[in-house]
Amino acid sequence: MREILRLTFRNLAASKLRFLLTSFAVLMGVSFVVSSFVLTDGLSKTFDAIVEDSNSGLDAQVRADVEFEEVSFVDLPIDEELVDAVAAVDGVDVAEPGFQSMKIIPLDADGDPVKTAGSPILSFNWSDPDISGLVLVEGAPPRSAGQFAMDVDSADRHGFVVGETYDIVGNTGPQPFQMVGLTKFGEDNAVAGAVLMSFTLDDVQRLSGLDGKIHWIDVAGADVDTETLVSRLNSALPADVETVSSDVVVAEEKDDFGGMLDIFGNILLGFALVAVFVSTFIIGNTFNILTGQRVRQLALIRALGASRGQVRLSSTLEALIIGVVASILGLIGGVLLALGLRSLMNAMGFGLPAFDIVITARTVVAALVVGIGVTLVASITPARRAATVPPVAAMRPGFRFGSGEGTRRTIIASVLAVFGVIGVALGLFGDLDGTPLTLLTLGGGAVLVFVSVAMFAPLFSSPSASLLGLPLEHLPWSRTTGHMARENAASNNKRTASTAAGLMIGLALIGMATVVASSLKSSFRDQMGSTLTAEYLVNHPNDENFSEELVANVAGLPEFGEVSGVRFGSIRIGGDTKEVTSTNFTELLDLLDVGVIAGDPASAADPTSILIHEDVANDRSLEVGDELTVEFAATGDQTLTVGAIYENAFIIGNYALDDSGWEANFDTTDINVVAANVAPDIDPETAAAALSTIEASYPQLEFETNDEFRKRMEGQLDSLLVIINVFLALAIIIALLGIANTMALSVLERTQEIGLMRAIGMTRRQTRSMIRLEAAIVALFGALLGLLVGLIFGWVATTAIPSSIISTVDIPWVTLGIYAVVATIAGLLAASLPARRAARLNVLDAIATT
Amino acid sequence: MTPTTRLAASPTEATVGADLMAATAVGLTKIYGSGATRVVALDHVDVGFHAQRLTAIMGPSGSGKSTLLHCMAGLDTVTEGDVRIGETQISQLSDKELTLLRRQRLGFIFQAFNLVPTLTAEENILLPLRLGGREPDQDWERRVVGSLELDDRLRHRPSELSGGQQQRVAVARALVTRPDIIFADEPTGNLDSKAGNEVLGFLRRAVDDWNQTVVMVTHDPGAASYADVVIFLRDGQLVGHLDDPTASDVYGRIRDLEE
Repeated sequence: MREILRLTFRNLAASKLRFLLTSFAVLMGVSFVVSSFVLTDGLSKTFDAIVEDSNSGLDAQVRADVEFEEVSFVDLPIDEELVDAVAAVDGVDVAEPGFQSMKIIPLDADGDPVKTAGSPILSFNWSDPDISGLVLVEGAPPRSAGQFAMDVDSADRHGFVVGETYDIVGNTGPQPFQMVGLTKFGEDNAVAGAVLMSFTLDDVQRLSGLDGKIHWIDVAGADVDTETLVSRLNSALPADVETVSSDVVVAEEKDDFGGMLDIFGNILLGFALVAVFVSTFIIGNTFNILTGQRVRQLALIRALGASRGQVRLSSTLEALIIGVVASILGLIGGVLLALGLRSLMNAMGFGLPAFDIVITARTVVAALVVGIGVTLVASITPARRAATVPPVAAMRPGFRFGSGEGTRRTIIASVLAVFGVIGVALGLFGDLDGTPLTLLTLGGGAVLVFVSVAMFAPLFSSPSASLLGLPLEHLPWSRTTGHMARENAASNNKRTASTAAGLMIGLALIGMATVVASSLKSSFRDQMGSTLTAEYLVNHPNDENFSEELVANVAGLPEFGEVSGVRFGSIRIGGDTKEVTSTNFTELLDLLDVGVIAGDPASAADPTSILIHEDVANDRSLEVGDELTVEFAATGDQTLTVGAIYENAFIIGNYALDDSGWEANFDTTDINVVAANVAPDIDPETAAAALSTIEASYPQLEFETNDEFRKRMEGQLDSLLVIINVFLALAIIIALLGIANTMALSVLERTQEIGLMRAIGMTRRQTRSMIRLEAAIVALFGALLGLLVGLIFGWVATTAIPSSIISTVDIPWVTLGIYAVVATIAGLLAASLPARRAARLNVLDAIATT
Repeated sequence: MTPTTRLAASPTEATVGADLMAATAVGLTKIYGSGATRVVALDHVDVGFHAQRLTAIMGPSGSGKSTLLHCMAGLDTVTEGDVRIGETQISQLSDKELTLLRRQRLGFIFQAFNLVPTLTAEENILLPLRLGGREPDQDWERRVVGSLELDDRLRHRPSELSGGQQQRVAVARALVTRPDIIFADEPTGNLDSKAGNEVLGFLRRAVDDWNQTVVMVTHDPGAASYADVVIFLRDGQLVGHLDDPTASDVYGRIRDLEE
């Protein structure tokens, strides 16, 4: 045993470069995983501290009693008069009204509405910093009408200066306000890019069109414990209002942050796991090559008496050591990566707070499991192969590893493929309980499919590489080097296949995402084209709602015909929360061709009618005229009659009420979208000119033609696709590193051969070219295979996604082709360093046989 | 101006007389390392290799015989001295020029690992030509392949050939470009005596029938007996030569040197 250990350590020490190259691949995967944990743990701790800190002066909070999970108490304002009732309760020292709005938009010095990278613009009434957590940094807080304060970072970013006057847009159009102070939330103002504004209570109520209303009351008690205070308040106040202790408030806010952080962390972890998966292939490949290089040495120790088990043990131990070292280094790497990610996000405008480096036991365990796990898994086959080297190979040159395991390999690959397909099918089409389980099945199935494709790849990698390399031989400048490259790529089918496998995974995922996104865009365009007949659309870029006065304003213009506002809300049917919309039923079909199957919306334009999508009608066996019990947050259970059934859910959703039905059952009247038609015989320029008079009062909204709206939506999809591709690009980079790694090791393995060719007349440039072209062939093979798999995955995914979201499958051949070309060039570049090393080989050293 | 025009044109059978020197070295010195690890592998060696002759270079191990070959062939740099292939001074050439020299004007046979494993025998033979983008003279190729008795082995890979056959492929490769000099480093070192003698016979025939020049390093007196002249090295210096050697003459000389 000690001898085995000695042998293992010597092997590692003898080839430090290979040791490093292998460790590096593991390290990257581990770092990625660790960074997602470090980031989320650290941020979680920081956000918890912020929450506790900002609520330190609070003892209790009074707000609306809400039943629906989708609805927050912020959506149900309460009467301002309650403040007096609260203050009158025994033990109450301070009772501060709280108001919040996300719809008030400031216009900057150029008159443009402030835009964030997706973070909200929040407006509050100024209140006691001890209770609200928002402190003054400079100047004065807003104390009289027409004044406001902004958080210091947003002021800086958007160019707001204390003392200047700016227009603020609320429900009633732009009004001038003077900026009197700068604020910050917590120590670092870590609000992730959000804009915080403070006004007097009167102003913010007026700007929101909610005079006399507030959203909560913060309470600080004196000489009384919290529990008593809460119970006293609950008994003193009406039933539609609840009082909770500050503990509950803190817990809720921590939950909110935690929820967002979870999503963020899971996405990071998801990408990290993709990276880990890719690196497993690379490491396996590396080990295989190393084993191949050590054949003579392995044969020798076998000849001298080492058993197969001992050889296998040595290989496994080597992998274990590499895994442990890489895990430890990966912990450090992960911390650095987390810090780097934070800087990146701050640079993009998401203000993340500084955080302590929190390395929990879970993170360490994860690092070890990933690092050691990946290396050990990758070393299984190479260790077994190492043990098959017979002693006689030490004396007889030209030993080749048997490909007798071919049949066994095919069987295993087939089994994995079958399980993989089942997993994917279950995940997509099966009705699994809960998102985690579905994702797990889907992800697990996908992994199995990838592994099986990678195992099948050696069966066709040789002919494929040969075919792909063929053009090179016919180009005048690369006839011989191309031939060599083609031969080399085609000769070792296992190595070509496993090198290409890493790239295959990355490109498969990108290919799938592209197909899905492209189909989404096409479907969207089709649906919009066939359903949305309205010529103009008005909505808020952040999907906030706005005053319904806009509908009247547009309707009042002679240049416009049918106008309707669309509202989005929530209802409950049989305990399940559903989304509901409301529009003007009489004008509905002129603006939205929902594809009526039965009934007539225009004749159902009353408060007790509801329109439903055909899926709902089928699920619940409903027909026109049937009754449906719907629960509303404000009015409880209501019995509604089905007025019509339609087939296009675009914009309108599955459930639709008439304006009158909304007004009867909801407290707010704000709308989310306005759809309008130009009056007949009016040309577009006249209509646009007329609309611009109204636009001036609503600078925060987008007034768009049908076309402009479509283009903007598609642009958003494109942006999302870019972000996904950027993350996947990281996996691609790992794969490219794998190619570089393999080429480097392959150069090492072919030192004598390269030396010989240099001796008989191959120039350095020809050497470099040969290595690079081989890498390009392998990369192209991996890319094409990956895109093929991605195409299939993408197609399957689009079939699984409901046809209301994706109705057509669009395969962007040109884009996929470009990916393939880029991957090939990247492969070429990835091999630059190994190519250079090969060219610089000292000819004599290379051909030395001793 | 391309490198090919700067180097002397490849001599054909007709233009090189038997008395010309195919390669010369004056004051050739090669020193490895420095300070405590300084090794003088070649010490001011003056030597000339006649054209159209088979010259053997011999000496005890550590005598510098391989180093001499490597320096003459442009495979290694010299510390001091003037080395010429024909009229071309090779010590000043760049790596690219040296590479082209090796490709166009020299031929190589090594002790082991002579062939690229992934190429067939024929592809190996034509490799130096193809690296230069040229195709062979079909007649010449057929003649070379024929006399080396490789006609039925052309499509085989090196792993499918015996040691002797592999060396013959290497000889064919060296001959097919009609080089100024063929450098052979222990060409029979890994072969049994029968195969070895076959290869030596081919080298001999290359000199006699096709007017090639062969410079060969060997430690085997039997191999050296095929040469027209043997030169002896010891401790990096030229210490003697033997014309028209027999195996026993050579053996005797070596034994003297090793004392």
